[in-house]
Amino acid sequence: MSTEENYDRISYETRQRFWNVIEGPMVVHLVLAFTVLLILVPIGWMAITSFKGAQGAFIAGYLPAEFTFDPYERVLIENNYWRSVVNSIVISTTTTFLVLLFSVPAGYAFSRFRFPFDNAIFIGVIFSRLFPPIGIIIPYFQGIAALNLINTVPGIIIAQVYLWLPLMIYIMRNFFISIPEEIDESALVDGCTQFQAFRRIVLPLAMPGIASVGILTFLYSWREFLFSFMISSTTASKPISVAVFDFVGEVNVSWEMISAAGVVAIIPTVLVVIFFQQYIVTGLPSGALKGS
Amino acid sequence: MSDTKQRTEAPVEEAIPGETEGEQDINVRIDSLRKVFQDNEKGEVVAVDGISIDVHRDEFLVLVGPSGCGKTTTLRSVAGLETPTDGRIIIENEDVTGLDPRERDISMVFQNYALYPHKKVRENLSFPLEVRSYPKDEIDSRVEHTAELLDIPELLERKPSALSGGQQQRVALGRAIVREPAVFLMDEPLSNLDAKLRVQMRTELNDLHKRVGKTTIYVTHDQAEAMTLGDRVAVMNNGDVTVRKEGNGHVAESDVFEIGLSSDLAADVEEWDGDLDDLTLGLRPEDIHDVEMANELVEETNTFDAYVRLIEPMGSDKFLTLTPTDAAAADAGGEFSARISPDSPIEEDEVVTLVANTEKLHLFDNRTGENVSF
Repeated sequence: MSTEENYDRISYETRQRFWNVIEGPMVVHLVLAFTVLLILVPIGWMAITSFKGAQGAFIAGYLPAEFTFDPYERVLIENNYWRSVVNSIVISTTTTFLVLLFSVPAGYAFSRFRFPFDNAIFIGVIFSRLFPPIGIIIPYFQGIAALNLINTVPGIIIAQVYLWLPLMIYIMRNFFISIPEEIDESALVDGCTQFQAFRRIVLPLAMPGIASVGILTFLYSWREFLFSFMISSTTASKPISVAVFDFVGEVNVSWEMISAAGVVAIIPTVLVVIFFQQYIVTGLPSGALKGS
Repeated sequence: MSDTKQRTEAPVEEAIPGETEGEQDINVRIDSLRKVFQDNEKGEVVAVDGISIDVHRDEFLVLVGPSGCGKTTTLRSVAGLETPTDGRIIIENEDVTGLDPRERDISMVFQNYALYPHKKVRENLSFPLEVRSYPKDEIDSRVEHTAELLDIPELLERKPSALSGGQQQRVALGRAIVREPAVFLMDEPLSNLDAKLRVQMRTELNDLHKRVGKTTIYVTHDQAEAMTLGDRVAVMNNGDVTVRKEGNGHVAESDVFEIGLSSDLAADVEEWDGDLDDLTLGLRPEDIHDVEMANELVEETNTFDAYVRLIEPMGSDKFLTLTPTDAAAADAGGEFSARISPDSPIEEDEVVTLVANTEKLHLFDNRTGENVSF
């Protein structure tokens, strides 16, 4: 009897010690460090490769034998990659602005008002994101062609808005749901019109959600490839994601140029993440993705 | 028993508009209000079924009733947050039924306070005035005055998140009174506070009503709150309402304090010719005593056990919230109250023996709701 109890206690203590170690700071940090390494090594390798020069890229060895900015110069100036950078900035900021303009009021309406077919419409919004985009790329291309917007920046912007708006309406709606309706009602009782209640009370409270949606839209449209690739083939209209692909030639792939283009392409992304990390970290879990 | 008769005859006002009161006396008239909700699963749900209540000027009217009885819907209809399916809302002799909340001279305190989290207390208080474009110095002086009234001047520069529940409650009250509207609406404003603070705020609300003296419609499910606050109490049940004229501290016995008929007590009932199951036994809280403190009342059949959920010391009395220990009675009646001597050693979370004063016992016919005490 007493030995049995002893055995139980020993096994209990062993398990406790085991989990204490597993959950301890050492192990946790090791796992974290490994994960970060996994993400950073390819990016680091790309950055290193971009400084190696045309021959150097194919030579075995970690650090560049001779350090050169030559790939950057050739990519940005000779291949007119700078033009794509400008295109990407125009496309992403415009897309972000348009998506916010539509998704914030739409999300608010879906979160607050009952109107005929409201659920059906909302399911329709979500449904449009459920099938793979490639399934509709032909009719989409034909539509853009009919509008005479092939090889234009507006054509790509329309594609981006179409791609990201449904998801952002969904996120905004869930964020607004996390704001108690009594807050709006309180504003109505305090003397606001419906629109004033939205603008003066609800909108400021939704800022973290709006910031998340804005950041996500910017990042998503910055990296989008498929639709941009279908619509644009000219230097004047193509964004970074498509332009990078140009360095994959028919006969050879110029590693150092792809790497240089890649480094240029991720700089804005990194800047956005650094400047808005507060919103990315707190905004998403505290409202946008909670309580759906 | 003569006492009982007298109480049975106490005026029960069915509040037919314009019947007894002069027009100028009525501040808010709820006229045949009916509200039907469309529910996806249950179809049509009747929340309020054609009720009429007249609220007098400067009166504190409490709407009390179990959850789901339509009391909050009624209040929200007065506020303009719900559109009635049928019936009218009249405030200050003006039919406001179709108007927006901002077009009615009302303010409202919500159950969860609904303070604006991104605004400081000062901005929360000044918001109703700013929206209505009051002049700057008028806003300042009113905010200061309200803060003084509620004893919160030191909180003005804080955000709501830095306040305790009781302080948030005060700010919510302040936001309601700062504009001095014709009618205050309060939707269970004390239910998020702990028991001790609730008792304290109850007293302060009473005090505030005396000082501000505006018409107040107050919704609660808490009987003790209804008793201590209301000039009049309107009891709502199944979308229907009965207004009891008895004021301050006295609720008509027939509605609120009902406990299931226990077989012990039923032994006293001899003259009833119907089925015993058709009877509900009612006792006013002050007619239930701690058995230790009221030995002289004890007879063979009039003691019973109950579980003490909550004690609220009120100075002159202790308010107990109890649940019957008898399973059948608990199913039937749920919760009831007793008002016992403050010297009683009864504590929370224990089963105690109580004695009922059978002289003051009331019996109600379940089929008609009538008091049939003999």
